[in-house]
Amino acid sequence: MQIERVDFVSLPTRDMERAKQFYGQVLGLPSHSYSPYDFETSNVTLELWEPEAQGEPFEPSTNGVALRVPDVEAAVEELRQAGAEIMGVRDSGVCHMGFVKDPDGNVLILHRRYAPFE
Amino acid sequence: MIDVERADFVSVPVRDLERAAEFYGETLGLQPSRGASERWREFETGNVSLALIPIEMLGRDEFTPNIAPIAIRVPDVAEARVKLEAAGVEFPMETIDSGVCHIAPFYDPDGNALQLHRRYAPFSDGSLPNAD
Repeated sequence: MQIERVDFVSLPTRDMERAKQFYGQVLGLPSHSYSPYDFETSNVTLELWEPEAQGEPFEPSTNGVALRVPDVEAAVEELRQAGAEIMGVRDSGVCHMGFVKDPDGNVLILHRRYAPFE
Repeated sequence: MIDVERADFVSVPVRDLERAAEFYGETLGLQPSRGASERWREFETGNVSLALIPIEMLGRDEFTPNIAPIAIRVPDVAEARVKLEAAGVEFPMETIDSGVCHIAPFYDPDGNALQLHRRYAPFSDGSLPNAD
């Protein structure tokens, strides 16, 4: 069994335009003209998906994609200003994590490890 | 806008950490991340890691699996499916040919949605898939 990589992580939405605005404008992730529902981090694609359009139930993702940011506190504040729901901020002992929700309730983690690896 | 540098990991909610670690480590054959420990089970896929988050760490009483799939790129979807089926993994439907890629949806032992994925068609700008 050979796994080469993760091609994309799906994020369900009930409002594609609102979600595109959030991932493209608020988070500032680029997308491709040929694939407007895909937003790129530098290493993996986040793909917006409308389950109800395919007759499947909508359920927000608990996947908690951890996005590396230079400063978790500053990023949390910026998302708060943009109207995002902030669930909390935690210091795990090795990293800072800011738990936020996108407009559909999908969990995102603003993340920065500060401790060296063992 | 915030400055997102990359995705560090994708969380996978689980009820039984050891069972999930065996699935991702042995059945799927993923290697542990350098930051992994007994408590923090994290596996590498090649570009982004998957972190198994036990329900007690989620701070929730009720477990909800993730139904939005993580698409795992394999060289050959049919071949990978046969191997996983031989390992006891059930696939709920026939493999889908979307016209640009092959997709075989399946679930981990906690019901989190995964799919074997391989795009075979070039993108509309002419760029080839699977080149990264």
